[in-house]
Amino acid sequence: MSKIFIVEDEVSIRSELAELLANSGYETESLTDFQHSAENILKSDSDLILLDINLPHLNGEMLLREIRRKTDTPVIMVTSRTSETDEVISMSYGADDYITKPYNPTILLLRISALLKRSSKENIKNFYRNLQVNTAKGSLTDSINEIILTKNEMIIFRLLLDRQGQIVSRDDLMTALWDNEEYINDNALTVNISRLRTKLAEIGCENAIETRKKQGYILI
Amino acid sequence: MKFGKFLADKIAEIIISLIAWLIIWNFLAVFHIGIWQIFIIGFTYFSAEIIKILWEFLRKKHFYDSLISDCEKLDRKYLLSAMTDSPDFYEGQIFSEVLYSTDKSMCDHVNAYRQQTREFQEYIELWVHEVKLPLSALMIMCHNNPEISGKYTQQIRRIDDCVENVMYYARGENAEKDYLIKEITLKSAFNASAVKNRAELQQHNVTIKTENLNLKVMTDGKWLEYIIGQLIGNSLRYFSAERDPEINIYAVETDKSVIFHFRDNGIGIPETDLPYIFEKSYTGVNGHTHTKSTGMGLYIIRNLCRSLGHDIKAESVRNVYTDIIITFGKNNFLRPD
Repeated sequence: MSKIFIVEDEVSIRSELAELLANSGYETESLTDFQHSAENILKSDSDLILLDINLPHLNGEMLLREIRRKTDTPVIMVTSRTSETDEVISMSYGADDYITKPYNPTILLLRISALLKRSSKENIKNFYRNLQVNTAKGSLTDSINEIILTKNEMIIFRLLLDRQGQIVSRDDLMTALWDNEEYINDNALTVNISRLRTKLAEIGCENAIETRKKQGYILI
Repeated sequence: MKFGKFLADKIAEIIISLIAWLIIWNFLAVFHIGIWQIFIIGFTYFSAEIIKILWEFLRKKHFYDSLISDCEKLDRKYLLSAMTDSPDFYEGQIFSEVLYSTDKSMCDHVNAYRQQTREFQEYIELWVHEVKLPLSALMIMCHNNPEISGKYTQQIRRIDDCVENVMYYARGENAEKDYLIKEITLKSAFNASAVKNRAELQQHNVTIKTENLNLKVMTDGKWLEYIIGQLIGNSLRYFSAERDPEINIYAVETDKSVIFHFRDNGIGIPETDLPYIFEKSYTGVNGHTHTKSTGMGLYIIRNLCRSLGHDIKAESVRNVYTDIIITFGKNNFLRPD
């Protein structure tokens, strides 16, 4: 289980954020003593840090610079500061991503998951049943056969696989697709899912994706 | 400065001189001074008078002419006193001093207002950040409680849009440069905007087609993201019930510029409204008949485009399409290697 460290002085956001991350299967720790921010963050030995810019005692950008001297743990700046300047400063101090408030929580979760995968702190699931998943190549293979997935189908399959056994809402699937510049509409999502089902059935995985009415889909 | 008018202004002095000369002439005649001598005295007297007037005219002409031409050249005329040297004649010096003090008072006045606007804008920015905190908390709360999520999230998004409008209105009105120009792809700005507006676009079942958005432009990414967000909002408001809604976003590169098109197949803009749509508070026919419009959206984005140095214009055919076209200049001086 990956551990995420939350640096956020607004109590209501901090607790909701902790709940959001816990619901998504992350362990969380929050900073409460802003006097010794850097030490506490480093001590926690987290896999990823969510860092606000407007903080008591210290500016988040300065804090980021201090952390970066000691560790290369991924950092996502999460802030209500919406100017390009703040983003450029944060990125130049070594932030890995920059998200402005109020953000879509699904986007935050997608970015967190992407960063954890990149820093290989989260195991990438490369197998589904007896199939090997080749994300870069866009294909699924068993010992004999190979099926090619379109970009959309792969995005959908990846998200379902990452959350295998949990319900993934259509809204989350849409967010992931749009975030990857695939601006498809509702009908197209339904079509993509049924095509994905057919392809999985062809390679021997019948009934892999189940529909949960009004909730979403689940990969069994 | 015209000599004729100057002379007309001196008419009293000239008459006094003539009267004085008549008295002198009579006086000289009484003492039987010869006509030749009187002529010489008269010649000297009038020469002195003429030279005096000419000398005065030239001195003043030099000062006032340069004052007038400086004034014409100046964009902010109240800075005139800073441009002109004090003249070498007394009246002019008095005039210069008075001018200096009025101009200074004007500058102080302008600065006080500028400072006030600046502080107001700073407060707006601060206020916007404050408002965004509870909005963020609400967004996550909605996500954590999926049973209420959808419709509440949409309202929160609406509030966030309103708040952003205020912030960008303040940014666009302010002359201070608080943007940051760097090279970005059109794709990145469009994507951020599209993801933000996804729920609304999906609700209207909009087909989105993008083409050639890998082109790079020099701009402020956050501002462009807002501008595109506004365009999406406008399209959503004015789709036609007769067709499936569609937005085409594409870019064309020329030698000197990158031209970005945001084209929808909505109800279009009447030809008579087209020249005015970027004006403040202009709502036009669509703004009255279709939906409540404040007439601020396009005005704000035109202001932002002006600050960033992009050209923005609209083309439309009623009931066929609206195309908002933004032209980004290519400036190689600004481009990092």
